[in-house]
Amino acid sequence: MHEIAINNVSYAYGSHEVLRDISLTAEAGEFICLLGPSGCGKSTLLRLLAGLASPTSGAITLDGNPITGPGLDRGVVFQDYSLFPWMTVGENIVLALEQAFPGKKRNEYREIAAGYLEMVGLPNAQDKLPGELSGGMRQRAAIARVFAIDSPVLLMDEPFGALDAITRARLQDLLLQLWQQREGERKTVFFVTHDVEEAILLGNRIVVLGVNPGSVKGIFPVDIPRPRLRQDLFLLESFQLLRNRLVNVLHENILSQLDGGQTVLSPGEAI
Amino acid sequence: MKYLVNTQNFVFMTLLAVLLWPSAGGIPRYLLILVLVLEGVTLLRTFTGRTEASRQGAGDVAAIIFGVLLAWQLATARFGLLDKMLFPTPESVLRMFVSELPDMLKGLVNSLILLVSGYFLALGTALPLGLLVGWRSRLFHAVNPFTKVMGPIPPIVYIPYAIALLPSFRSASIFIIFIGAFWPIFINTVHGVFGIPKGLLDSARVLNLKERTLLWRIILPGAMPSICTGSSLGLLFSFVLLAAAELIGANSGIGWYVKNFADFADYRRVIVGIIFIGFVVTAITWGTERVEKRLLRWRS
Repeated sequence: MHEIAINNVSYAYGSHEVLRDISLTAEAGEFICLLGPSGCGKSTLLRLLAGLASPTSGAITLDGNPITGPGLDRGVVFQDYSLFPWMTVGENIVLALEQAFPGKKRNEYREIAAGYLEMVGLPNAQDKLPGELSGGMRQRAAIARVFAIDSPVLLMDEPFGALDAITRARLQDLLLQLWQQREGERKTVFFVTHDVEEAILLGNRIVVLGVNPGSVKGIFPVDIPRPRLRQDLFLLESFQLLRNRLVNVLHENILSQLDGGQTVLSPGEAI
Repeated sequence: MKYLVNTQNFVFMTLLAVLLWPSAGGIPRYLLILVLVLEGVTLLRTFTGRTEASRQGAGDVAAIIFGVLLAWQLATARFGLLDKMLFPTPESVLRMFVSELPDMLKGLVNSLILLVSGYFLALGTALPLGLLVGWRSRLFHAVNPFTKVMGPIPPIVYIPYAIALLPSFRSASIFIIFIGAFWPIFINTVHGVFGIPKGLLDSARVLNLKERTLLWRIILPGAMPSICTGSSLGLLFSFVLLAAAELIGANSGIGWYVKNFADFADYRRVIVGIIFIGFVVTAITWGTERVEKRLLRWRS
């Protein structure tokens, strides 16, 4: 039971309204993608879920209990800065394990860490510093850490946003594989992205956020059965229809932001 | 062959010729040995140096040293162009250096005891305080005005008062060295904490670390680059203040050594003392650079 309810949440930074009246409920084990252009407050919403900031009004509850601060019941992966650069990858995971499962011996922690590193395909990275790894390997290690603490809720803030396309595809597959591993006790995931195809590949539902201020423009269920194979996915009609709808919603939102007097030229006309 | 025909060896041969040329004072033996040893070391590095740049570097440094020695020798021993008392010959300075070394080392021990006490007192207080003040914003706002006023006061101005205030010269110098090292370490530690990327702090917060763990394992290493800057600055300041304090009120130590013999117009010993201090500071700097490299290994 790891149901997250976001009830009429608004957030303002000084006089700048970032999020307005967001309401959304994630069932236990659901994979929710927060999709939107930059500046729509999707990362802010994730920070509220993580407890790194508090809503100006409204409330977020986890199984009925309001979220008042960060907690190990919610694991977070950021785009960068997830790992502490002065600790080896192993030490990074051990530090997290010490918080999540206190009272074990150092060797036990190291063994658990080694197991999770193997699971994400980094069997030899235990004693490496994050600076010695590529961006993709660092995100693998961050995923290993977040799965090691085994929090029922997973919050991911554009975790693959800075990676090249091939590395990103590999990590998407890895994430899905880990998430699906344990049928029945799947983690509830909030995954922030600005990539429409990534959202469809990963999510059960896609929440589209608009800009100025950030608010829910629509919630789209993804009815494509799992496992979703990347190579087949793009050929599916349902995929193409959903992608077009999402693109249209995002596009409308951007158009409505433009000044009324401006006309958008057809492609190439301005050249 | 191309390693042998170069500026370094040209200057070396000239210097050798000057040293061996028959003159009234005889052959300057100490200087000759020094020059031969330097040439030997340089040749060794020329043939074992891994890159062209490191080979050239060794040769250029040797060329400059030989050049300086050559000019010094010509201006003093050979032609006597300079005042004999203010500019002793290289040979006599070298001899003096060797014979005075035991005394200077004894003085150095006295100086280092003061330096280490004052410096580590500063490190031990400025570092934890800096971490705390950098981390807790209320504390920072309370303390910042005082830092702004007290930090820039040149610590040298405390010397006369400290000597009057404190019971012994020893305690007064430790106090002054402490003040000199405290502010650079404190200020740089605070700024180091401010400089930690917000993302890393968020990452630490979502792990729900206890404050002690957070300060020790995240804030301290995160601020370490800036702490290293502050610490080496603090060490440099404490060395300057140590020498200054000794010039004013000590009866032993390396700063006192220079001052004492300057009072007797024994400039040969003054030069020897200055050269010795140069070596000591170089050794200390080399040591701190090694420590720093080790602490900041993760940055490379």
